[in-house]
Amino acid sequence: METSETERSRQSLGQSQKQVNVGPAERKASMVGGAALAASGVRSLVKGKYLPGLAMIVAGGMFLYRGKTGHCDLYQAMGVDTVHTHDSGLHIEKVVTIGLPPQQVYEFWRNLENLPQFMRHIDSVQVTGERTSHWKAVGPGGLTVEWDAEMMEDTPGQQISWHSVGSADVPNKGTVEFKQAPANRGTEVRVSIDYYPPGGAAGKAAAKAAHGINAQQLEEDLKRLKQILEVGEQTTARRTVQ
Amino acid sequence: MRAVCWHGKHDVRVDSVPDPQIVRNGDVIVKVTLTCICGSDLHLYNGYNPAMKKGDILGHEFVGEIVEAGSGVTRFRVGDRVIVPFPISCGACWYCRHELWSLCDNTNPNSWMMENIYGDTGAGIFGYSHLYGGYSGGQAEYVRVPFADVGLEKIPDGMPDEQVVLLTDILPTAYQAADYCNINPGDTVAVWGCGPVGLLAMKCARHLGAERVVGIDRFPDRLKMAHDQCQADTLNYEEADVAKELQNLTGGRGPDSCIDAVGMEAVGTGIEAAYDSIKQTLRLETDRSSALRQLIRACRKGGTLSISGVYAGFIDKMPMGAIFAKGLTMRGGQAHVHKYLPRLVKLVQEQQLDPSFIITHRMNLEDAPQGYRIFNDKEDSCIKIVMKPQPSAAALPAVEAPAAGI
Repeated sequence: METSETERSRQSLGQSQKQVNVGPAERKASMVGGAALAASGVRSLVKGKYLPGLAMIVAGGMFLYRGKTGHCDLYQAMGVDTVHTHDSGLHIEKVVTIGLPPQQVYEFWRNLENLPQFMRHIDSVQVTGERTSHWKAVGPGGLTVEWDAEMMEDTPGQQISWHSVGSADVPNKGTVEFKQAPANRGTEVRVSIDYYPPGGAAGKAAAKAAHGINAQQLEEDLKRLKQILEVGEQTTARRTVQ
Repeated sequence: MRAVCWHGKHDVRVDSVPDPQIVRNGDVIVKVTLTCICGSDLHLYNGYNPAMKKGDILGHEFVGEIVEAGSGVTRFRVGDRVIVPFPISCGACWYCRHELWSLCDNTNPNSWMMENIYGDTGAGIFGYSHLYGGYSGGQAEYVRVPFADVGLEKIPDGMPDEQVVLLTDILPTAYQAADYCNINPGDTVAVWGCGPVGLLAMKCARHLGAERVVGIDRFPDRLKMAHDQCQADTLNYEEADVAKELQNLTGGRGPDSCIDAVGMEAVGTGIEAAYDSIKQTLRLETDRSSALRQLIRACRKGGTLSISGVYAGFIDKMPMGAIFAKGLTMRGGQAHVHKYLPRLVKLVQEQQLDPSFIITHRMNLEDAPQGYRIFNDKEDSCIKIVMKPQPSAAALPAVEAPAAGI
C-alpha cells in the first residue's frame, strides 16, 4: 500500500512538471521533495506506520523544506490566476445551522478579528484596511504561515468572500454565505474554501491525504462558532482551569 | 479528591485526582452526597465503548450540595442541595428549546466523533466516554457541573438522597419509556429487562394508566421484584416462548406497547443468541439484539416499541419485515431528563411514586470496584448500588452494612 501510494505521488509529481509552467528552482524543489517523500515512505515502511501518518510526514517534510530554503516566491511568480485554476486547488465546504438571524451571524463574522476565537488553526487576523487583513495560521508540522487577504464581496447579512493576495504561503480563497433557515431555525452558515498547498502536485497529493482532517477542522470550527453565538462561549469538558 | 476511574475492561479503581474547578461562569462545583452505578456504566465496564481513556472518571447519577458557583449562576447558591440530570444541556439551541434536552447541539465538545458514527451529535453526558464529550463523572467527591442554571433542580427540603438520586437518570428514563408508549385505557405494556429501569418503567406505565404490565427477565429474584413491587405478570424467557405467552396473556392481540430496558448486551437463548454473541465477540456486530427482536415479534399491530436500553452501533437480523407488516412505531433515545424532572420530583415528593425500592446495596465509594463486579455478575440479587463518597463509615445508613453479601 505505502509503496503504491509513493509511486502514485511520484507519478503525479512527474505530471506536475509537464502541466505547470515552472522554472528550474521549483523543479529542483519538487525533486528534493520527491526524494524526501520516498525516504519518508521507506522509514514509515520500516516502522510499520500506515498511510495517514505517511501522508502527514510527507506534507510536513514538504513544508519544512520550503520554509528552510525559502522557495515560497515560486507561487508569486505563478500569479493568482494560474494558482486559482479550478483543478489545481483543494476544495472544502461545510455548513452549520446557527439559531440566530443572518444579520447577527454576519456581523460577528464580518468583525474578522473574531475569527481566531473559533478557528483553531488561525493564530490571529489583523484588519489592515477597509477590505484587507493579515492572517497568521499554524500549518502542518507546527509551521506558521501568513498571508494577506482581500475581501472581494461583502453583502451585509448575506455573503462575504475573500482571496489571498501577494506571496501567500498557502494561496487561498473562500466564501461564507448566511442564509435564513426556515421557520425560526436561524441561519444556515455555509463556508467553502479553496486552497493551494505549496510544493506543486506533490504537496497537493500530500495535502489531499490530509484533506479529511482539514475538512473536519472546518466543521469543528463551525461548531465552535455555533457554541459561541448560541451559548455565549465555547463549551468544554475540562475539569480544571488548566 | 477520590474518584472512580476507568482503567480498562473489568478494571475500575478509586484514584486520588485533582479537585475540579469552576471553568466557565455558568458552572457550579457539586460536592457529591450520593451516587449510583448505572446499568449503562456496565457497558463501559465490559469494554464496549472504544472512546474510553485510562483515568476517565465514571458516573452520571449523582446528587449533592453546591460548594462553589460561577459568577454567571443565578438560580442557585452555595449550600443548595441539587439533582444533576445526566445529560448536559445548553438551554439555548433548537433542541433544548424544543424539550429535546438530551439531543443538545452544543454540549458535546467531541461532536465530530459522534457525527462520524451516527451522522449527528447528542448532548454531552457526565462520565460516559469521550464519545459523549469526555466530561468527568459523578462517582467522585466533587464534580464540575456546567450550565447549572439550565440543568439543575433543587431538592425539596426533607427529601432523602436515596429518593432523589434516582431522579438523575433511571426514573426519568423509565418515565420517558412509558410516556413514549402513549398508554390508553386497557393497554398492556410488556417490559423486557427487570433491572432498575425496567422495574421503574413498569411502575411508570401503571402510573400512566396501563391496565397490565408484564416483566420479562431470566433472574427469578428480579422477576419476583417485578411481581411484588410493580404488580407485574412475569415471564422467564429461558423457560417460556415469550411472544406466544404474551399473546396468551392478551387474548391473542399482543402487548399494545413494548419497552426495551435491556440494550446492546441482551443475553437471549438458543441459536440466535449464540449467533449474536459470536458476532459481537468478533466485532462483526457491535450490539446483541435478541431482546429487541422479541419486542418486534411480540408487539401488537400498530403498537409502539419504546427503546430505553442503550444501543451503540449495528445489529444484525433486524426483522424489518415485521415492523413494516405490523405498522409498528419505534421511539427511543437518551432521556430528556430536564423535561420530566419537575413533575417527577413532585410525584416522588407526594409519594405517588417511590423509586427507592430498587436500591439493594449501599456502599462506600472506596468499594466501587467490588460494586461494579457484583452488579455486573448479578450477584447477591443486586439491582441498584448507591455509593457515598465520604469515607467515614459512620455516615452510612445503618440499613445494610457496606460489605454485606459481597
